[in-house]
Amino acid sequence: MEKLLKELQHADLHNQTRRHFLQSAGFGLGALGLGSLLGSCGSSNAGTGVAAEAMDAKIPQFAPKAKRVIYIHMAGAPSQLELFDYKPELEKYHGKDCPAEFLEGKKFAFIQGVPKMLGPQGKFNQYGQSGAWMSDYIPYLQTVADEITFIKSMHTDQFNHAPAQLLLHTGSARLGRPSLGAWSVYGLGSENQNLPGFIVLASGGRQPDAGKSVYGSGFLPSVYQGVQCRTGGDPVLYVTDPNGMNRNMRKQTIEAINEINKQTYDDVKDPEILTRISQYEMAFRMQMSVPEVMDVSKEPQFILDMYGVKPGEGTFAMNCLLARKLVENDVRFVQLFDWGWDGHGTTAGDNVEGGLRNKCRLSDKPVAALIQDLKMRGLLDETLIIWGAEFGRTPMQENRNGVVMPFMGRDHHLEAFTMWMAGGGVKKGYSHGETDELGYYGVKDRVHVHDLQATILHLMGFDHEKFTYPFQGRNFRLTDTEGKVVKNIIA
Amino acid sequence: MFTLLQASDWTYFFGRFHPVLVHLPIGFLLVAALLEVGKRLGKITLSDSVITFILFWSAVGASMACVAGYLLSLGGGYEEELLSAHQWQGIGVAVFAWIAWILKSEIISKGAVVYLPALALATILTFTAGHDGGSLTHGDGYLTQYTPEAFRSLAGIPPRTEETKELKPIANINEAVVYKDIVQPILEMRCVQCHNANKQKGGLRMDGMAMLAKGGENGPVFISGKGLESVMIKRCLLPESDDDHMPPKGKPQLSESQVALLTWWIDQGAPADKKVSDLKVTEQIKPALALLTSGTTGGSGGSSESAVLSLKVAVPAEKSVDAIKKVGLLVMPIAHDKNLVQVSAVNAPGFGDGQSGLLTSLSDQIVWLKLGHTKITDGGLKELAKLKNLNKLHLEYTGVTDAGLNDLKNLQYLEYLNLVGTKITDAGLKILAASKSLKNVYIWKSAVTENGILEAKKLRPDLNIVSGFNEARVAEFLKAGDTLKTEEKPKSTK
Repeated sequence: MEKLLKELQHADLHNQTRRHFLQSAGFGLGALGLGSLLGSCGSSNAGTGVAAEAMDAKIPQFAPKAKRVIYIHMAGAPSQLELFDYKPELEKYHGKDCPAEFLEGKKFAFIQGVPKMLGPQGKFNQYGQSGAWMSDYIPYLQTVADEITFIKSMHTDQFNHAPAQLLLHTGSARLGRPSLGAWSVYGLGSENQNLPGFIVLASGGRQPDAGKSVYGSGFLPSVYQGVQCRTGGDPVLYVTDPNGMNRNMRKQTIEAINEINKQTYDDVKDPEILTRISQYEMAFRMQMSVPEVMDVSKEPQFILDMYGVKPGEGTFAMNCLLARKLVENDVRFVQLFDWGWDGHGTTAGDNVEGGLRNKCRLSDKPVAALIQDLKMRGLLDETLIIWGAEFGRTPMQENRNGVVMPFMGRDHHLEAFTMWMAGGGVKKGYSHGETDELGYYGVKDRVHVHDLQATILHLMGFDHEKFTYPFQGRNFRLTDTEGKVVKNIIA
Repeated sequence: MFTLLQASDWTYFFGRFHPVLVHLPIGFLLVAALLEVGKRLGKITLSDSVITFILFWSAVGASMACVAGYLLSLGGGYEEELLSAHQWQGIGVAVFAWIAWILKSEIISKGAVVYLPALALATILTFTAGHDGGSLTHGDGYLTQYTPEAFRSLAGIPPRTEETKELKPIANINEAVVYKDIVQPILEMRCVQCHNANKQKGGLRMDGMAMLAKGGENGPVFISGKGLESVMIKRCLLPESDDDHMPPKGKPQLSESQVALLTWWIDQGAPADKKVSDLKVTEQIKPALALLTSGTTGGSGGSSESAVLSLKVAVPAEKSVDAIKKVGLLVMPIAHDKNLVQVSAVNAPGFGDGQSGLLTSLSDQIVWLKLGHTKITDGGLKELAKLKNLNKLHLEYTGVTDAGLNDLKNLQYLEYLNLVGTKITDAGLKILAASKSLKNVYIWKSAVTENGILEAKKLRPDLNIVSGFNEARVAEFLKAGDTLKTEEKPKSTK
């Protein structure tokens, strides 16, 4: 209701024309005189109060199981058939023509005509007390098998990277919706007042295909968008004060700027001004807090070894270590992107054999280390780790333009893929959902990306159907009109 | 109740005009009474014939309402006692209205003294009959249901009870009588409010086995042996937005496990007196039955939620909250529907023993407390020991020692204790092993030894003691990747 009123007030101010302005100018002149008589009676920090409010810690709808999230997105989409979804039957069909039933009425990003089936390239075995199937691509993750809940029956609606990433992170394949992280900080704010509530770290040499929209704030106030930090060198550029500028002078400067911004806000009531004010304040505090939290030089050597990190590197491993340090400081949502998992088989780098093995080699150890590290610090039970990609890969070998690819590769696949979660209120050593014998369709307990989103919000203390934001005359939610909480994976 | 007429469509047709007709005499009588009062006080001047005229139509209206009301009552579905009271009050209104008219019109010259009492009585009976009529239609308490809290105490209405009735835990599930101990309590909790003796929505009563078996105006609500084909289950499974969904939108809903239990009971032939052990306990129903033993409803909270989170405590005093906020701590309820609070010192690393006394003003409410990386020591733990509902406690990287833990072991809801980076030793861990509630304790980078963990495990085998990696264990962990030493070169398929 309050939000509706704010929107109304905002719309009203938009409608103020020059005529209105001139009309009120007469009174305005008088008021100006009065204003100077009254002096600065107004509270000087009123503006900052309103702005800071946006990021204050807020109360969830019900008691949360996960207070923080680390979302590890493997952009490009690794093959579930090489890592988790063991299909011995597919081995038998290796090199044979794909059955017609898999192709009728289906569209693929690249596959044309009748492709051949491609057997699993990894050596599978069962690990942990739970007997989770994993391949030799990921030997480190095998050691923490009993901490993990696998969802093997994920499915999505989009088979191209950018729309699929948008659907996964914002609930819609089109631009303009807030991301999961933005919804989280909109709903819960940030407990740590010196760090942003939603931090993004990217590795792999490229940003995700859908760009910054996958961690954007959409129609939510932009204070809720993800703050991307550099992982090598200075985490935030120009964060140190220049020579001759001491901290006190910086403080006064920012206070003066904010005071002017606050006056503008009082005139035009644009909530984006509040965002700007709070960002200035946040930037000021971050000057102290960010270099401290992003500095790994004080970490003991064995921790660096565990993740496989060398200080100064901007690798995925470094991002995992930073993610731990951030959640340790109560950052609400840490989003990791790692690019380069798109194993079509076109080059020595992008395929499901050596290429995928190399990506796993760079990421398997730090992910397993992250789970172990959070666990021993007592952080894992309130921190939800989510690992996955925007879609999966076909059981067929890709045949782009109808020709056999130079390397073993698989096309984008929306009918079935695997994601996993650990910590924050999900079961330990559990596997949800199944795919058919060839790993093409989910045949049991299918989980759509909207269901995943509903479940994540549920773990954070929100009913996804009641967690809404009014925009353009209707209430929007992350899952739009769909989504069902996957209760079976909740501990 | 005596029956004068055989019920037919005609009787129902006229009967349904009762609510239309009934408002005429109510209005007329009030107007007559008001005019009479106004006239006698000298506020207005009007001829007595006006009042007589109004009284005549009041009496006619009341009589017609009585007849229509009787016809309506033939349809049944109303609570007998309340209906009877309403009927006689209604008849009373008509009788006294006629008396008042006769006297006012001076058809009979004697007994004019009775006129005012008769009019007054008719008016009063209008109110009581009207109220009972309302209760018959809308259910008891409809009128006062939304009385604001402030007026409730004044009017002597009990405070509104929250709709969070919980099923009582069942000690021995196998001996529980399925209908009496499982099905009926669920119905009582979610259905009976609208399907009882007073209020029979859809002509259905669910407040007893016989009534349930009888069904409603749309026929039986369950088909013995066919749970999923039974109307009462189907309606629960419809989307909440559907008009036919039960319980209606906005009312507390049945949980999945409750629907599962009802379905299972019907599948098993809806027996009235069989025990759980007499029926076929399927794999699917086991989790739902297990929930009954723990007393949780299996709603959104899930089964693993700590008992402490369902405690009902008073709203935290604003003054105490403000005082705690003033020292830089974060204080907030753990959820919108709860008064329990979490407190965090993430922004207050200077927090120390001197301030810990502040927390005791919220000793009922604080369940989650984060004091990691602060200056708190054993002295402060003495105060924390008074937070009797404490559930999760972070003390990592603080100056607490074994001595302080003595104060914590008696906290009956404490399940999580983080002692990473403290000076806790094996002796301290032993103290904690005496706690009955503790589930997870974190002792990485403390002085606890491997041996100390084994000793504590002997005392409390179910206690999860989480140590961590040191150089040696990291070296062991790194061995997992030995297979990956060499960079793989993909073999070309060409």
